[in-house]
Amino acid sequence: MGKLFRRVRYFLRRRQFEADLAEEMEFHLAMKAREAGPLARSEMGNITRAREEARAVWIWPWLESVWQDLAYGVRTMRRQPGFAAVALAALGITVGLNTTFFTVFNAIALRPWPVKDPGRVVNVFHFELEGPRRSTHGFSVAAYRYLREHTRAFSGLVLQDQAPVKMDDRRLALTYVSANYFEVLGIGMERGRGFLAEEDRVGAPVAAAVIGYGLWQSRFGGDVDVVGRRIRLDDVPFTIVGVASRDFTGVPPLRNDVWVPTAARLLLRPNDPSVLALLTSPNHCCSSMAGRLAPGFTREQAAAEVELVERQSRGNQPDEERTAIVVTGTALIDVPNRNRRQAAPVFALLFLAVTLVLLLACANVGNLLLARAAARRREIAIRLSVGGSRARVVRQLLVESFAVALAAAAIGVGLASWLPQYLAARLAPELALHLVPDLSVLAYSLALAVFACLVFGLAPALHATRGKISSALRDDWRLPGIRLPLRSVLLSAQVAISVMLLAGAGLLVRGFERAAAQDPGFAIQSVQAVTIDLPASAYGDVQRRQFASRLAAELHGAPGMAAWGLSMDAPLGNSTTSTSFYKSGEPAARRRMVILHEVTAGYFDALRIPLVTGRNFIAQDEGRPVALLNQTAAAQLWRGESAVGKTIVSDKAREIVGVVQDANTTHLGSVEPTMYWPMEGRWAPLVLVRGGGPGAVEHIGAVVKAIEPRAEIHAQDLAENFRSALEPSLAGASLAGGLGLLALGLAAIGLSGVFAYMVRQRTREIGVRMALGAQPRDAVRLVFTFSLRAVTVGLAIGLGGAAALSGVLASQLPGVRPLDLPAYGAVVVVLAAAAALAGLAPARRAARVDPATALRWE
Amino acid sequence: MLILKALVRGALHGYAIAEILKQTSDDVLQVGESSLYPALQRLLLNGWVSAEWGASENNRRARYYTLTAAGRKQLASERADFERMIAAIQKVLQTA
Repeated sequence: MGKLFRRVRYFLRRRQFEADLAEEMEFHLAMKAREAGPLARSEMGNITRAREEARAVWIWPWLESVWQDLAYGVRTMRRQPGFAAVALAALGITVGLNTTFFTVFNAIALRPWPVKDPGRVVNVFHFELEGPRRSTHGFSVAAYRYLREHTRAFSGLVLQDQAPVKMDDRRLALTYVSANYFEVLGIGMERGRGFLAEEDRVGAPVAAAVIGYGLWQSRFGGDVDVVGRRIRLDDVPFTIVGVASRDFTGVPPLRNDVWVPTAARLLLRPNDPSVLALLTSPNHCCSSMAGRLAPGFTREQAAAEVELVERQSRGNQPDEERTAIVVTGTALIDVPNRNRRQAAPVFALLFLAVTLVLLLACANVGNLLLARAAARRREIAIRLSVGGSRARVVRQLLVESFAVALAAAAIGVGLASWLPQYLAARLAPELALHLVPDLSVLAYSLALAVFACLVFGLAPALHATRGKISSALRDDWRLPGIRLPLRSVLLSAQVAISVMLLAGAGLLVRGFERAAAQDPGFAIQSVQAVTIDLPASAYGDVQRRQFASRLAAELHGAPGMAAWGLSMDAPLGNSTTSTSFYKSGEPAARRRMVILHEVTAGYFDALRIPLVTGRNFIAQDEGRPVALLNQTAAAQLWRGESAVGKTIVSDKAREIVGVVQDANTTHLGSVEPTMYWPMEGRWAPLVLVRGGGPGAVEHIGAVVKAIEPRAEIHAQDLAENFRSALEPSLAGASLAGGLGLLALGLAAIGLSGVFAYMVRQRTREIGVRMALGAQPRDAVRLVFTFSLRAVTVGLAIGLGGAAALSGVLASQLPGVRPLDLPAYGAVVVVLAAAAALAGLAPARRAARVDPATALRWE
Repeated sequence: MLILKALVRGALHGYAIAEILKQTSDDVLQVGESSLYPALQRLLLNGWVSAEWGASENNRRARYYTLTAAGRKQLASERADFERMIAAIQKVLQTA
């Protein structure tokens, strides 16, 4: 340890050390000279060598020479700023993109909750063993209470459930939590405290709230005396008891603003009879449950215990829903649900794309370095001939490329520390992502830099030191470097990769166009969705149902209301409701999921969704157990038979009275099985009105205000919904387009470098040809045919790879077709144009070669 | 080990160390500069000696080396090893 310290001290003060040593040896010589006369110096031998050896004791000699190599590398870079700028920009941007991607992936998928000792905190789920979705669900409040009392595997179990809430006029995210939430998860408090056990009793709910740091700052200006102040959530007064730690912005990925005890549901929804059932009945599903494992317990033991205790709570009855308990970590990637299965290919594809861009940059810089190494043959040959070992020269070249890689990594980290925040703020402000490039990201980008260094440093380095010294010294114009396969391989790889990225971009852009031109199956033009915001605390199912029927009655026959209907949600809105059911006569275990819309008869008219068979809802259907299906659902359930008149069992047995045409009511792409019920008041109604213009919206507003003065209305064009449904396609297309452009730029740079180098190397040959009567256009042809084979091979490989990967894209985004020939054709044209452009300047130089000058070359 | 021994009696500069070794070994051990200074640097690196500048006999600046506590310990242990080794060699030579 002391030794290392002394070494470091030496390194920091090496000038002083060296001066000391020199002076000391000078003194030694002087002493010796006095005694032995002038012969001393010759007796003394090689002083410099003695000094070098004395120095070598202190510092690992290779370390010092690496330092020299590095300084030399930086100096040569400075002499070629163009090369340095291109190499640094290409690598820096791609390393930055890779790091950005990894940062985002890490934040979304790999990072556990920001709680104390997150390794011991686990999610507990029911995992469906059967059924098409194989998804997870949580626990009823009652089951949670029972499990909390009867399990030993957890030092604490918590329950949470997120819901939107309005405070004054702001929409906030609220989470209902069990009282022990902050204590079990170990979340610190900026001010005040978490909840007390007596604040979460169903019999005596307490209006206590913990607010998040962001809300504390934005709404209360960081007031130190905020504890005890009143806030109104959905018009119900709550008292602030604490402010959560700045580091805890909610359980990822969703941001949260306010926490209240589970029992406070009764206060926030006083007119909703289902709330009491939700808080007490074991059949009411579901809230998310998480826990902290007790010391000594594993996740498997915990899962086994929960399963056992839950069976006991059912009186040892078998589980009807056929689920298993799974206990997982809290990072999103651990959660075994549908989102993960859907997100995985998207992430894999993105990862592939950014890795391809990185490889492209490496190949590109490798090509530049290779050309440079060839241009430096003379220098290298001299080094070799004066006794530099091959290893030493290779190391020198490696250190140089390593310097580039490190500088690029620095640029990349700089980019990655800013870009993810920017993207997250622009694209997904509702997510609570902790987007700081941490040590693992740094390690990742350093590993990338080293990898890049090896890829583009080693091959050219080995390559450049091969070959005979004498021929390099003579600057022979028949350099063996001209037709080397390595450069062709790099060139082909570049072309292949940029073709793949460009083809991906092309497919996505075409997909976006196709999706934008798609007919969603319902009317978009001049249809307005008028959302009605009822005061949530004053309305339960009954009140909502009464409100809906009064609204329908008042709107009926009103002037200027050409076609209108009520619905619980707008087509292509941002929420989807689904329910499960089984065919009557089948076992209950054969439940299947459908999309659910509660609507009135006018819905189909306003949206121009035609009826296929049976009848539409009629006024008398209100309160009657009837349902409509879309064609997809009808075809799946009763293939070849008429669905009309059949019965299904969902919340209750319902008769199918009709079938309507398919429409993309929830998302673009394929249409999912969908069921329509009459309005039953589970959700607040909204009005869909076609035609009528602003007058109709005003009229609806007036009618609503007359029934409920506290309601707020908000009108939106359905075209707006359609646009936002296109958002993923647009985002995918622009992302792929950006990457494709980057790839194209890199490929063009690489190609032009190769052409320019080739012209410079063959100037003499071209000169000879011209002297023998060749025309300038022959010289141009020489330039272009030179890399034709490499480019063609690359093109073929790239197109093949793109076709292989396009299936994944097609399955993820609406409108994308895997074998989109025009897209591939466009890619070929664009790339050929880029190659021609890249070869233009070198070709002109080749055409202008003067035979006399060329022959006198060196 | 020999340099350490030379320093037991007090601080010396490099030239004096070489002289002492030469004298005490009756000119058998002539330490050249090319091995003396690297050796001194190694001792410094290992922390067995420390160095500081002082005035020499003829009033020139000279670097004086002093044995440290770690150096004394090292000398003792090396010396013990060496004596054991010599004894063993002699034993082998005598029995032959």
